[in-house]
Amino acid sequence: MPRKPARHHRLLPVRPLTFSPFARSVARVATAYLVKHHMHDAMQQFAGDEFKEKLKNVDRQSESSEDEEFDGVVQADFAFFDPKPDDFHGVKTLLQSYLDNKQWDLSGFVDLILGQTTVGTVVKLEDDEDNGVFSIITALNLGRYKDHKCITELKEFLLNICHEIDKIGNLRSLLGDEAQKVGLLVSQCVVNLPPELLPPLYDALFDEISWATEDEHKNANQKRSSSTEKDEAFVYIKPEDEILHKLSMWSFLFPLQTQQVATHELKNYQLTGIVMAVKAEGISSFRQQLHALINES
Amino acid sequence: MSTITSLMSRIFAGLQFENSCDVGVFSKLTNAYCLVAIGGSENFYSTFESELADVIPVVKTSIAGTRIIGRLCAGNKNGLLVPHNTTDQELQHLRNSLPDQVVVQRIEEKLSALGNCIACNDHVALTHTDLDKETEEIIADVLGIEVFRQTIAGNILVGSYCAFSNRGGLVHPHTSIEDLDELSTLLQVPLVAGTINRGSEVIAAGMTVNDWTAFCGSDTTATELSVIESVFKLREAQPSAIVDEMRKSLIDTYV
Repeated sequence: MPRKPARHHRLLPVRPLTFSPFARSVARVATAYLVKHHMHDAMQQFAGDEFKEKLKNVDRQSESSEDEEFDGVVQADFAFFDPKPDDFHGVKTLLQSYLDNKQWDLSGFVDLILGQTTVGTVVKLEDDEDNGVFSIITALNLGRYKDHKCITELKEFLLNICHEIDKIGNLRSLLGDEAQKVGLLVSQCVVNLPPELLPPLYDALFDEISWATEDEHKNANQKRSSSTEKDEAFVYIKPEDEILHKLSMWSFLFPLQTQQVATHELKNYQLTGIVMAVKAEGISSFRQQLHALINES
Repeated sequence: MSTITSLMSRIFAGLQFENSCDVGVFSKLTNAYCLVAIGGSENFYSTFESELADVIPVVKTSIAGTRIIGRLCAGNKNGLLVPHNTTDQELQHLRNSLPDQVVVQRIEEKLSALGNCIACNDHVALTHTDLDKETEEIIADVLGIEVFRQTIAGNILVGSYCAFSNRGGLVHPHTSIEDLDELSTLLQVPLVAGTINRGSEVIAAGMTVNDWTAFCGSDTTATELSVIESVFKLREAQPSAIVDEMRKSLIDTYV
């Protein structure tokens, strides 16, 4: 007879990312997600162009009491949207620690992202009144936006954190004279976002980029994402980072100051950021590998 | 970090605590003292200090080991209420740093985010509908004010969705006209429904205010700022006059 899966007394509950009733129920989902290994048997349907995901559900009533043991999962219909000015607060919250603990024009940066309605995707719930943003993915051309304060500050941050002498020349030229050909890949999501959403998200982004730029070649510069390192072993917080790292022309690591939610398994690991430069030609291989990675796990 | 000040107005915008515009989360401002969270850049603390230090003490502190002090405590010129998980050292530090007439009391209330559950000025408090009866009595005793259990635009966290001083108040943007009138009558100050930090409804998180000054997060738009300036009557406010007025009334009480 199978043992009942362990609950809160063994596992640290996931902390909510923002303070709202929905974020709390999402955090509970995350805790349940960590515990229930048979989540992957849940129904998944892709609905045509809309890329909707359905997760197997129980009831939603249990969100009323904070003390109740949360029994099942919350049904969530994720949908992909173009970035809109309304999404300002949600996107800003996701990008709160984008440049670690540096104080910079984050609001300006978010405005740039939301201003680009043709490239970029925001993941939200179908009929959510809270308008909570679960993930943002976009690419910003460093040349086009070079005069914006936030981009200047971002470039300054990247140059300051790069302590590897052989890489800094490459970085400087990518940020400087080659900037017209460089896209900054901005990708951030809540920690418990189902990984099944990642391949269509990235596919959508790269499709939009190619539609928006036709035959223009661009180098995609994957900016810092959180990965962790223990001696030789790397654990990537975002699965797509591992693939990008392998495909990158060059990359460098840097230490992070901000606290991140540390799960039980990762407590011996040190939180590190990574900056990677990936050639545009590598993207189709990236997409294939991402599909393979997510679909097999 | 930039600040926007004009000659007569006492409103400070452009504040950030470590990239967060939620000024009201990391500070607590009253007519008698100001609490500021530890951490964040010196800019945040020094804005408060340079504006207020001549008139009232500006105290750096944590509550329950956290920086979200504005949301955990509630107070006015008469007292400060802190939650049950405030440490002994924090309590002692507050008692030492605040003026003697400000009574600092730690209370056993299960709704420990007192700043989210209680909104008050020097005369009236609005509280969460499920607050303990005992807590209500302590508020009335220690803070010396009348207590009303209310909701704001259907939200029970009254401390989060409004901010009011003795001169005016800003409430959740979806508050109906009838509710606005009712609240205004209870509080005896003019109220307006509006937003802070570029459309955020969580008023008390985005700003902090007393009778002569307001501090707002850096995302606050010019329109939002002008609404705040007008409803809180900050344009001609003179801090020394207000504090002297308070001191006079205190002396009368002792006599």
